[in-house]
Amino acid sequence: MLLSLVGIVAIVWLAATGRLGLYIHPRYFEFTVVMAVIAGVAVIAAFAVLPGVRDGDDGHGHGHDGDDGHGHDGHDHDGLADAEGHEATGSGTAPRRQLFWSVMTVLVIAGTAVALLVVPPQTLTTATVDQRDLNNSVAVANASETAQLVASDTAGFTVKDWASLMRQGAGEEYFADKTAEVTGFVTPDPQDPENVFYVARFVVTCCAVDAQPVGVPVYLPGWEETYPVDSWVTASGGFGPNPSTSSAQAIVLEPAELAPTDEPAEPYVY
Amino acid sequence: MVAAVLAAVLLVLRIVSSGWDTAVIPDRLSDFVTLSISVVIESLPFVFLGILLSVVVRFWVPDTVIHRLLPRRRVLRRAALSLLGVLLPVCECGNVPLARGLMMKGLSVPEAMTFLLAAPILNPVTIVTTYQAFGWDDGILVGRIVGGFVIANLVGWLFSLHPRPDDLLTPGFSAACKHEAAHAGHSHAAAGAGARRGLAGVFSPAGRAAQKVKLRGAVVAFSEETSAMLPALVVGSAIAGAIQVGLSRDILLALGSNPIWSVLALMILAFVIAICSNVDAFFILSFGGTFLPGGIVAFLVFGAMLDIKMVTLLRTTFTTATLVRLLIVVGLASLALGFGVNLLA
Repeated sequence: MLLSLVGIVAIVWLAATGRLGLYIHPRYFEFTVVMAVIAGVAVIAAFAVLPGVRDGDDGHGHGHDGDDGHGHDGHDHDGLADAEGHEATGSGTAPRRQLFWSVMTVLVIAGTAVALLVVPPQTLTTATVDQRDLNNSVAVANASETAQLVASDTAGFTVKDWASLMRQGAGEEYFADKTAEVTGFVTPDPQDPENVFYVARFVVTCCAVDAQPVGVPVYLPGWEETYPVDSWVTASGGFGPNPSTSSAQAIVLEPAELAPTDEPAEPYVY
Repeated sequence: MVAAVLAAVLLVLRIVSSGWDTAVIPDRLSDFVTLSISVVIESLPFVFLGILLSVVVRFWVPDTVIHRLLPRRRVLRRAALSLLGVLLPVCECGNVPLARGLMMKGLSVPEAMTFLLAAPILNPVTIVTTYQAFGWDDGILVGRIVGGFVIANLVGWLFSLHPRPDDLLTPGFSAACKHEAAHAGHSHAAAGAGARRGLAGVFSPAGRAAQKVKLRGAVVAFSEETSAMLPALVVGSAIAGAIQVGLSRDILLALGSNPIWSVLALMILAFVIAICSNVDAFFILSFGGTFLPGGIVAFLVFGAMLDIKMVTLLRTTFTTATLVRLLIVVGLASLALGFGVNLLA
């Protein structure tokens, strides 16, 4: 019950402050908030009804036994021990078991409350980029979408659009006369971390769990002194062949301007 | 009252702490928290919806409706139940509370299991998103629908051979079912009386009193189900988040182009990534070029039925031994399905 309340308060607060987008795709916003509000009403009703039920109605007292039992069920290691725990009530081990599970329950609730309500909401960082291939085929647009991109105006292009064009091999002649302005966080190129970094974003399909990093490579030896990893920058400029010999990227952004910036309200792209 | 005060306290806590500096938290830990929270926030509304539906089924749908609508033959019954997802297009995490509600309503364990496995795949939302993502290409859509139906019914049939199906359930839940069944007679009489009087019954004093008792019971049931489900959801999400931070996807993706390994690799990916069946088609879509269709079908079938979060949720209801058997059967069947699609495509 307390967990529901924690979850509901967290969702409503995130939605009210416009930060739900850190966790889930905008298309789920309405559904999530509506369900949170409905569940909130039910939880408040339950808190109001429960004390009365506990004292009176014997039938539901039983239900509460079961309720404590669920604590077991959720985490127990085998059903046999569970059965013993239930039947051995009154013998010496039962209270200790019960104590153990109540401690576990408190820990789960406290952990959830800290994670959902105390830790400030954050975007994913470079630690996750390392776990997931940057610009792998999952994140970037497919061939037909890219073909559309080639034909369209580059003014509104995102990090994802540029990354797709590079991935699909739009070629040097395409990039020769283009200029781009992109905003993203700084993350090092795995092959040449000294000289090349990416202006990167996460692409989210459903929620942050499936986030895939995409990025536009920038060649700038010693970049890390000025632009720390995970800080946000806006880069603008043209494209050119990559001077780095070890990087896998053929084309890089040659920034005419490169300035630190604040994390945008919508840090992910969709 | 208590709840309102608590909610206010929690909200204040949230507002106060939101200004704190985050620099002290290491990146990995912060990503672990972000990922776990995103699984919780994504699943929570579906779980709430499932619990609400389950409570409605338990308290306001008369037993007779369920038993009259379902065919008597067990095979047909399970087949009909596996199509129930069409009526209730919720994500698989919402199906767990609903299946619990159905079992309390007297459905057998294998029947509930068939519903649990089939509903996430055989529902309009999943079918439409899968169609949008893949169209009719490579038999992925057909493979998912047919494969899901066959595997769910196979599992239902296998478990129906069990001599004492109650042993598949955790003792706590099994007792709750028996308790509910014992009470059903008495509350059923009241409900029947109310139903006979129809709408008028709702407004008559006796009918109103009955409704009030029912509503009270429903609220209690809601709180019991949330107490059972949410700890499991939180623990499952935390495990999923931890695996995401600890496990590099490159290895799994590298295995993807091999006809044998691609199926297995994608099934493992499906198990650890724990995303809802309504959206997984979009997620896997861009793998289309990298992976063989058999792997994708196995991902879409296996991942919809079981994943790390589902296993912790199911553990509230089924014993560990049951879940291990379930994992083995569904896993092997999905593997076979994946290889089959690879051979045909």
